[in-house]
Amino acid sequence: MAKLPTPQALMSSRPAFPDKAWLDIKPEFAPGSYCYPAKKETMELLHMPNPHDWDPSAEDWNLPDNWEKILCDAFEERLEKHRSLKLFMDICVRCGACADKCHFFLGTNDPKNMPVLRAELLRSLYRRDHAMLGKLLGKRIGARSWDKEVVKELFYYAYQCTECRRCSLFCPYGIDTAEITAIVRELLHEVGLGIHWIMDPVKNCSFTGNHLGIQPHSFKEIVEMLADDCETVTGIRPKTPFNEKGHEILFITPSGDVFADPGIYTFMGYLLLFHELDLDYTFSTYASEGGNFGSFTTFNMAKKLNAKMYAEAERLGVKWILGGECGHMWRVINQYMGTYNGPAPDNMVTPVSPFTGTVFKNAASTKMVHIAEFTADLIQHDKLNLDPSRNDHIITTFHDSCNPARAMGLLDEPRYVLKAVCNNFVEMPENTIREQTFCCGAGSGLNTEEIMELRMRSGMPRGNALRYVQQKYGVNHMACVCAIDRATLPPLANYWAPGVTVSGLHELVANALVMKGESKRTMDLRQEDLPNVAEDDDAAQGEGQ
Amino acid sequence: MRAIDIFRKHKDEVTRLWTESVFKTYPLETTGFLRTKQDPFGNPVGHMTKEAAAALYDAVIGESVDIEDTRKALDRFIKLRAVQKFTPSQGLGVFSLMKPLLRTHVLPELLIKKKLHDYLEAESRLDSLTLLAFDMYVKDREILAESRITEIRNQYAQLARWAQRLNAASPLAVEDQGAEAEMHSTEGQGSV
Ligand code: SF4
Ligand code: SF4
Repeated sequence: MAKLPTPQALMSSRPAFPDKAWLDIKPEFAPGSYCYPAKKETMELLHMPNPHDWDPSAEDWNLPDNWEKILCDAFEERLEKHRSLKLFMDICVRCGACADKCHFFLGTNDPKNMPVLRAELLRSLYRRDHAMLGKLLGKRIGARSWDKEVVKELFYYAYQCTECRRCSLFCPYGIDTAEITAIVRELLHEVGLGIHWIMDPVKNCSFTGNHLGIQPHSFKEIVEMLADDCETVTGIRPKTPFNEKGHEILFITPSGDVFADPGIYTFMGYLLLFHELDLDYTFSTYASEGGNFGSFTTFNMAKKLNAKMYAEAERLGVKWILGGECGHMWRVINQYMGTYNGPAPDNMVTPVSPFTGTVFKNAASTKMVHIAEFTADLIQHDKLNLDPSRNDHIITTFHDSCNPARAMGLLDEPRYVLKAVCNNFVEMPENTIREQTFCCGAGSGLNTEEIMELRMRSGMPRGNALRYVQQKYGVNHMACVCAIDRATLPPLANYWAPGVTVSGLHELVANALVMKGESKRTMDLRQEDLPNVAEDDDAAQGEGQ
Repeated sequence: MRAIDIFRKHKDEVTRLWTESVFKTYPLETTGFLRTKQDPFGNPVGHMTKEAAAALYDAVIGESVDIEDTRKALDRFIKLRAVQKFTPSQGLGVFSLMKPLLRTHVLPELLIKKKLHDYLEAESRLDSLTLLAFDMYVKDREILAESRITEIRNQYAQLARWAQRLNAASPLAVEDQGAEAEMHSTEGQGSV
């Protein structure tokens, strides 16, 4: 009979001193920690290289025969093309300043999730071929060759980085591990390795314009249903202009706001705000997706999907584009759009708010304004009639989404709006907000349910900070300006800080917005009773309006 | 000297050693960081573990008897162990690691003072706490499983409503299928 192990023996997940160096310890593909692979048909439809069937947990990933050459050549080409990549490969001094800044490391305690070591996985390959010493000394200075296990490892860790860039904030050289991850994902695509959760939306976006692949007529109907809901709550049915030429503004938002709960309430917020302003705008069914999962795939794919925005702005003859609450959409717009798709079509001009005359000089190049900037400007010019007391049952905090915070510096505008529409606002601890914000743990296309377990680990630093303000200050709500956050934060909050609800900013704006001719508000956009409505004036107001 | 005073005297040492043994369940390269960095938000795992150590010890020695308080103090730590890459026995086995520490560091002095009974009571409390933790652990795993289902439902919330409305509005089976087909063709796809 086998001897029953002692608790200590059961617990020792590692020997006192590992017999292998960290670089040689291989990842284990346990369910819950890797994403499902992209389907072969999807990859074929998108003309991705080397489409094939494979399973991450299998021994053999069915790589193409000449996989090593493909990867070497592709890496060479990327080094040539992106000087930043070459620089990042060369200049890291392994100071370790970034090591403990990644939420994946903090949540998993896996050393290879330290940004420096994550990048080292690629750097070790670089050293072999590109650094003189590496050629001479090989393994002794951390150089190694491509082998199939290395490919698996790159896959494992490239999809345990949300490209959030928190680490780069602390690097004295500004090394951006997110860019390294992006390149690793590109390289893996060269040998046909991608994930379903990213590639399916990419396919749908390519063919029908939005992530779910909803056809134009249905998309419009779904939006109209939301307008009906607006009417139920406010007594006003906002207009839903689609594909109309000759308006001043084209509005583009991630389609998650149209399909997913609780994003839909943010969308209703947009509709009501625009209606109240009588904004001269249109939606487009062709450019019906602000999100860009191409940006989690390859630079070329990102460029292709993003091109629809300007193409549609040109066709519809608008002057500028107003964009909804999204995260990575704004990273693409601010950092890459100029190079990808610029310059903007001739009919577009530097955006000017039609209500305040404010010129958005920051958008002079892209001609695209984030709705948080737009609304903050309206509030500052006193253009909105707001009753923040309607949100008095909420004590809210604000989650800075990685991309708007770190890639465009959108820090104060959303807070300004939030404070104008909610009387109770509490910040989370300083080293977890603004530029130092902790990722929701599931950005960059990792918001898929099969890795829920991993997401609860990687989102733990955010969940932990939320829990702190919940217990200390009674926070019961978290606002954000990103559609991925609206999808990923509810389960995270439910796990780490149960009782905290999550919404977009404009859901709260519309709840507080006093509209001309509205009926008395007795419920919020979710059609839940507003607790602060005084009973006595119920009847009087209802008739009065 | 009362037994509780003897237990109290050893609190710092035992909780420190227990924390160390929990840290040792993580890869070697990360132990140093867990041990040294003090920031509760910069090193949440370290902070949660230390909080759990103190709460666990107090509950074991009978210092804090309110079960709700104990549950609250252990909650974060158990949530963490429930999602990290451990088998369930590794996740919760850390509670058993308290026992050898108590036997080595507290028991001898209690024996000298003829307080074996108090010691055995403490060990029994540790067993109860482990069972309490087990319930919490299972609950957390259930939340996780539910979250996956809720998330799928939420992603298609509006689409599902739309499809239902089409079904309700049209008596024609053909159109019903049209709506359903569109729903199905979107299965498993992202909506952000
Ligand atoms: S902070 Fe920068 S230089 Fe230092 S280890 Fe990290 S990537 Fe390298
Ligand atoms: S970009 Fe974010 S997820 Fe990726 S290594 Fe840096 S901190 Fe971690």
